Amino acid sequence: MKFPPKIPNRKTKSKTNKGGITQPNINDSLEITKLDSSIISEGKISTITPQIQAFNLQKAAAGLMSLLREMGKGYLALCSYNCKEAINILSHLPSHHYSTGWVLCQIGRAYFELSEYMQVSIENEVRRIENYRVEGMEIYSTTLWHLQKDVALSVLSKDLTDMDKNSPEAWCAAGNCFSLQREHDIAIKFFQRAIQVDPNYAYAYTLLGHEFVLTEELDKALACFRNAIRVNPRHYNAWYGLGMIYYKQENSALQKSLDINPQSSVLLGHIGVVQHALKKSEKALDTLNKAIVIDPKNPLCKFHRASVLFANEKYKSALQELEELKQIVPKESLVYFLIGKVYKKLGQTHLALMNFSWAMDLDPKGANNQIKEAIDKHYLPDDEEPITQEEQIMGTDESQESSMTDADDTQLHAAESSSRMVFASARWNNKRRCL
Amino acid sequence: MTTPNKTPPGADPKQLERTGTVREIGSQAVWSLSSCKPGFGVDQLRDDNLETYWQSDGSQPHLVNIQFRKTTVKTLCIYADYKSDESYTPSKISVRVGNNFHNLQEIRQLELVEPSGWIHVPLTDNHKKPTRTFMIQIAVLANHQNGRDTHMRQIKIYTPVEESSIGKFPRCTTIDFMMYRSIR
Repeated sequence: MKFPPKIPNRKTKSKTNKGGITQPNINDSLEITKLDSSIISEGKISTITPQIQAFNLQKAAAGLMSLLREMGKGYLALCSYNCKEAINILSHLPSHHYSTGWVLCQIGRAYFELSEYMQVSIENEVRRIENYRVEGMEIYSTTLWHLQKDVALSVLSKDLTDMDKNSPEAWCAAGNCFSLQREHDIAIKFFQRAIQVDPNYAYAYTLLGHEFVLTEELDKALACFRNAIRVNPRHYNAWYGLGMIYYKQENSALQKSLDINPQSSVLLGHIGVVQHALKKSEKALDTLNKAIVIDPKNPLCKFHRASVLFANEKYKSALQELEELKQIVPKESLVYFLIGKVYKKLGQTHLALMNFSWAMDLDPKGANNQIKEAIDKHYLPDDEEPITQEEQIMGTDESQESSMTDADDTQLHAAESSSRMVFASARWNNKRRCL
Repeated sequence: MTTPNKTPPGADPKQLERTGTVREIGSQAVWSLSSCKPGFGVDQLRDDNLETYWQSDGSQPHLVNIQFRKTTVKTLCIYADYKSDESYTPSKISVRVGNNFHNLQEIRQLELVEPSGWIHVPLTDNHKKPTRTFMIQIAVLANHQNGRDTHMRQIKIYTPVEESSIGKFPRCTTIDFMMYRSIR
């Protein structure tokens, strides 16, 4: 710890720096605060005159104010969901302030809002440093839910509930844990407990709403989301939940949630798809482009953009998009399925078959479902010609078992019919009503 | 063939649930029985406990009625165990669906031979798709060794989980996709 320079110097320095906040100023002020306390603790008060002491206190207060101002700026950025900005500001804090529970929690929350769930190591830090901290842990539990790390999540929820049974965050974590195990009834019970413990905690209502959506009790879900919004009108998560329910019920109301959190790429991705379903494909492409600019690593946005391009018959660009996606997420069967459909449209049946069989390899059960779904949709039966060509090609390929070729047959047929399936909301919605 | 093949036990339905492709909806339904012995009724049939059972107390056929709002049902799982229930084990079960009691149509009939575990009954209509119905009735037409009353230990009913997120594609498989699928 270096000794501060002579006091007259300090005076001039602080005067010139009153306008702006610079790193050295904060450091020095904090040095003085520390020095102050250490001097006092050493019992050397007698050697410092009252004037100097008052001066020191003033410097310490200024230092404290500048620190609080930085933290405030960071918090403001976070609340307006300028998450990158917030992370920037908060990481510039001096290290002994950075490594505190509150700051790390805010940074963790910023990463969460950015959907960068992999930065969960930040939250680990919080637990390590302040393992009694309960606030902010609900974000950590939701992160683990997204990453599907059930062991870590159950450890977290056990710790939290042991520590503090009266905190809503602990019960939210427990609810998330059971939701990941798909025990939705138990998860609902825990979220209700969280609400009982603190009726003004908006996130508990939101999580409860999501659970009700998963158990298809949409009216209860609507009520929960409305409660959440009543408690905290800026809780964009609840607006999103409302929007999704209305989307299911064939209206669309996602705009409000987007107004509050314009940076969420997931949200933008959703809106893009809704717009596409409403036939505003240009707008959809715009929105999806925005989403990708914000978060180039969001694979689902790219996938949806590719499918919009496919529906608009821009096969080359769709293919390009899908190739990039293959690099990012090589194990996702949906990607191969869509590539297969594009090749089928372009008439390159060999490549189409290859991709379809990769897709089926990666997810045999998914393929069966989509065959069944696609067969259900009765579409124009002018696929007979290409199908017979398919059969010829497959007949010559002796290496495939007959069951596989049959599956491929139906899948190609299904793919052909489903490829004609534009995301036309009217037709799709009609089907849903008839079901 | 001198002895008929025994009905093999199926997988534990909990495994089904964990795949996330089906969801148990028995809790959203109204259950009723044609008859039961006191203390051996619907609660014992739905308590997730294989030790407790429903015992009927009337004449055949014994009926279990499940009523709900119009839902797609995919699979029915029944637990039966010949070793513990002997002559109370059902041997012929008929599954009927419809809108109400007067409108039921049989869609499945099963023959069980000394079952010893979970029996999965897929409920599909003529087009091999899961049925949509208001009501399911499980009728026990006959028991092993011509027993009169029947024991049934557990019944679970599953509906397929719709891919709730946007778009009409089948489920995604990797965590990377699923991470971005919803805001929570």
